[in-house]
Amino acid sequence: MERYSLGIEKLDKNINGIRGGSNIMIIGPPMSGKETIVNNIVYKGLKMGDAAVIVTTREPGENVVDWFNYNNLEIPLDHLGIVDCVTKTLGVPTSDTATIRRASSPVDLTGIGVKISQFLEEFWMKKNIRKTWLCINSLSTILMYSNIQTVFRFLHVFTGRVKASGAIGIYVVEDGMHDTQAVATLKQLFDGVIEIRQENDIYLIRTTGLNQKPSPWYEYTIEGAELVLKDGE
Amino acid sequence: MVETGIPKLDEYLNGGIPKGKSLIYFNHPGVEGDVFGMQTLYHNLVKGGTCVYVTSSSNPETLKDQFKEFGWNIRQFGERLLMVDGYSSLIGALSTENYVVSDPENIDSMTEMIDRAMKDVPKGSIIMVGSLSTIMDLCGEEKTLDAVKMWNKMAMVKEHVFIYNFTAWPYDESTLKSIKNEIFNCVISIGGIAERVIFGQYFGVLKADWSKVEVHSMLFRILRPGGIRIYIPKILVTGPFNAGKSSFIHSLSTRAVSVDRLGTTIALDHGHIDYKGFSADIFGTPGQERFDPIIRMISGEAMGIFLVVDSTLPKDFIRAKQMLEITKGYGLPYIIVANKQDLPGALSVDEIRNHFNIPEDVPIVSTVATSKKGIYEAFDILVEKITGGN
Ligand SMILES: Nc1nc2c(ncn2[C@@H]2O[C@H](COP(=O)(O)OP(=O)(O)OP(=O)(O)O)[C@@H](O)[C@H]2O)c(=O)[nH]1
Ligand SMILES: [Mg+2]
Repeated sequence: MERYSLGIEKLDKNINGIRGGSNIMIIGPPMSGKETIVNNIVYKGLKMGDAAVIVTTREPGENVVDWFNYNNLEIPLDHLGIVDCVTKTLGVPTSDTATIRRASSPVDLTGIGVKISQFLEEFWMKKNIRKTWLCINSLSTILMYSNIQTVFRFLHVFTGRVKASGAIGIYVVEDGMHDTQAVATLKQLFDGVIEIRQENDIYLIRTTGLNQKPSPWYEYTIEGAELVLKDGE
Repeated sequence: MVETGIPKLDEYLNGGIPKGKSLIYFNHPGVEGDVFGMQTLYHNLVKGGTCVYVTSSSNPETLKDQFKEFGWNIRQFGERLLMVDGYSSLIGALSTENYVVSDPENIDSMTEMIDRAMKDVPKGSIIMVGSLSTIMDLCGEEKTLDAVKMWNKMAMVKEHVFIYNFTAWPYDESTLKSIKNEIFNCVISIGGIAERVIFGQYFGVLKADWSKVEVHSMLFRILRPGGIRIYIPKILVTGPFNAGKSSFIHSLSTRAVSVDRLGTTIALDHGHIDYKGFSADIFGTPGQERFDPIIRMISGEAMGIFLVVDSTLPKDFIRAKQMLEITKGYGLPYIIVANKQDLPGALSVDEIRNHFNIPEDVPIVSTVATSKKGIYEAFDILVEKITGGN
């Protein structure tokens, strides 16, 4: 299987590459820059020639593309697929584009699943890309509309697909929004976790489950579109 | 009878769904099964029927827009399409529909609206549940299935046809079992061929209690616009040198390429055809003997064969039979294309049958490939043999 890296140097050194087929949860408090972190991971992956499917539940697909443009991060659009769960709920008539396909709503797990599968097929069969990132940003929104069992079943299927295709799955979860039981239930589906913690005004990040031992906590800041890690503890 | 409007499916179901019966499209996750329900709905609206659509994962206007992707304008049917809105309340939005489910997480609230809509439409209407899985997710598996049994009974009395779209997430084994075996009169399974990714989709009839079903499984593709097409990934066109194979493929295809040199095919021809309910890829072989290894190479996994012969050249018929042999064609459905019928001295279909010693059940179709005469007839006949209708 292919190996991947997060494109976050200090963490990568510590975990020494991630096995293709892994599913990773990224969990942290609101406003901690999870989105920037995920976008950075995707961006570095795209730079390496990988493909990425981003499921966006909080903002329209166009905004996701704009973020990269606004920050002068050049991305190959033919390696990017966005599953937009927002635009159609706004009642604006829109159609799909080559990069952006729209599900009816965050409740429409069937539609989300179909669109993810289509992009995976396209990247693997038509474009012959062997490394793909699947990012769901965020599971928390999906959990607002569907109960935990429903989301679990959905994830059960798609973490399985990630495994089968040797991709990497990244699933964003808001810390503090769900009861610990729910988070524990979801964790069963994941191989590792990127944890984010806030202490006073300081943000810290580490990985667990991706290597024998958890990585140290690294203090980080978000500067513009960039994630900057300080030395570990 | 209510037709499904899905190519081949009505044939497999003995004409369609009898009044008062229920059918479920049982979709595997990630496969575009929703389109089956949408196509059935549109087909029946066009035919003048009245339909109730129960939506639970998208708002009614968004849903109507979704049909447009396939070239289906369902807004034109006005009052013949009623919406039960089981979505808006869920996200706290206002609804302009007449049948609004006030609490989509309560199955009784859903039942109340479905019941009301069912009473408002004429006998023999179609009631379609856009996503049974979403209702199950919101209201619970057991409660929902109990309600479904009741809905089906109510529909029976009014002679409505009840159609469900369902995504088979990993629910309880027993839930899935009763859906597959007990609750519905007819179950159409829609699945994906997966290896690393899902790369092909098929449907098949698991059950239909009004007709003796032989298990058919058909590959399909979805065209936008167009909807569901039976997909035949490989039809082979073979035959002696210069018989008209490349011409036949080019006439038949919506798009085609040939690798030719000096008018003779040296590698292969490839064409794609979208015709009636079918979508097929057609591969032609070179005719010259020195290329026979190529024939062997590209004939794997073919689903049927056109054997093209030049009707004016009976001396080539032996060669033709030999090529059929190479493709192991005797196991596959094949037909003989008696080409160049416009030329003087062309043998008739009967003469060819005698010369060739062709069994009666192998069709021979006369064609003029250069002017498209007979080629669609040939296509229809071979596809019918491949898909095994009644
Ligand atoms: N009159 C007439 N000519 C035809 C017909 N079909 C094909 N031809 C001609 O026959 C010649 C050979 O046609 P092709 O389609 O290239 O034949 P082919 O079987 O692909 O030939 P190879 O690839 O070389 O084996 C061309 O000049 C065509 O124009 C037909 O129905 N009537
Ligand atoms: Mg040729």
